[in-house]
Amino acid sequence: MPALFDLANLPDADVVALAQAGRDAAFREIIRRYERPVFSLVYRMVRDRESAEELAQDTFLKALNHIDRYRPEFKLSSWLFKIANNVAIDYLRKRRLATVSVSGAPNAATASEIEATSFEIASREPTALDAIESRELGSAIERAIAGLRPEYRSCILMRHVEGRSYEEIATTLDLPLGTVKTYIHRARHELRRALSDVKDET
Amino acid sequence: MTHRHLLPDEIDQLLDGEVGFGVAPLVAHVRECPDCRAALDDARVVVEALERLPRLAPASTFADRVMADVHVYVPWHVAARDSALAAVKPFAPRTRPVRVLLGTMTLSVAALLTAASIWLLGHLDGALFFAGVVRERVLQAGASIGEVVATTLFGAPTATALARGSSLVLLATVVMYALALLAAALLLRTVAVSRRRRD
Repeated sequence: MPALFDLANLPDADVVALAQAGRDAAFREIIRRYERPVFSLVYRMVRDRESAEELAQDTFLKALNHIDRYRPEFKLSSWLFKIANNVAIDYLRKRRLATVSVSGAPNAATASEIEATSFEIASREPTALDAIESRELGSAIERAIAGLRPEYRSCILMRHVEGRSYEEIATTLDLPLGTVKTYIHRARHELRRALSDVKDET
Repeated sequence: MTHRHLLPDEIDQLLDGEVGFGVAPLVAHVRECPDCRAALDDARVVVEALERLPRLAPASTFADRVMADVHVYVPWHVAARDSALAAVKPFAPRTRPVRVLLGTMTLSVAALLTAASIWLLGHLDGALFFAGVVRERVLQAGASIGEVVATTLFGAPTATALARGSSLVLLATVVMYALALLAAALLLRTVAVSRRRRD
């Protein structure tokens, strides 16, 4: 017998309403829709797969166990990203090694911590090819993102990976619009500096 | 436009596709200045690389692990409805011929009731007289049954008090009935929720 309705085709608000009515399938549909975006955001914030899975799991548990608190005037995705961002930021603060940068994390106190939190930019050795393939650029940009401050990281990821507008990011992260623009602009500048050795073949 | 190069924030304005009063001079400058054009192109490379980053997937068991710790709360009225539907479902007709027969019978009953209502409306005065007679008979029967029940449950003095129609006693009786209804609703809720409790 065919299903009376297909959850995958329902808008988020309807799926949430079904979840609030106690439908198991609606909870699973919410997870199916947003496990990748939430996990991607958290992973790129914390840079550790195992921790990212646990934090993404925490994000969904916080959301789904309090689904009655969801307010339909906000997007479900924004609500989930807000929880994910808070969970990731709290984790990074507890770890106290918030950034990986060329010279090591600002909070790194010992030589081993500095080594663990630093990375090297490839030197400008002349090569037979001037172009860097897009795959290498992708890896380089992932490493460069890890060097950003957490606040810059979450804003730049939501802007350019998740495609959110400035206003949406400001609402999701409870930041003034001007602050969001500043964070994103500074993140772009830092990424450009970190990738100053990468050139596309024209 | 001055002969200075673009500031980083101005490059970001162009990247974001902003429009407005101050943007046209920036665009004009970029057309003429190879250094600023190169800086803008480098900035675009970074943005495009960000936009090409893939969405990473968690483990295939992620959803199951999340659902294992999710507490699904089922409102009591939803649980009661589901229980009622589950009770009726075994008796629902499964084959098309039976459904057609049941539908035909239902329509026939509805048609008969409609015809009866139309007839009654056409003979309203007779119907009202008949209804009055029936009402009197029902009230007399109800009073007799009520007297027997009240005497059985509460004894003769209480039954006499109810019969006299004291407002205080009537109020107490109404309150008792209301409490009985509330207790029945709570019992129904408890039964319905207990059937949906997860292991």
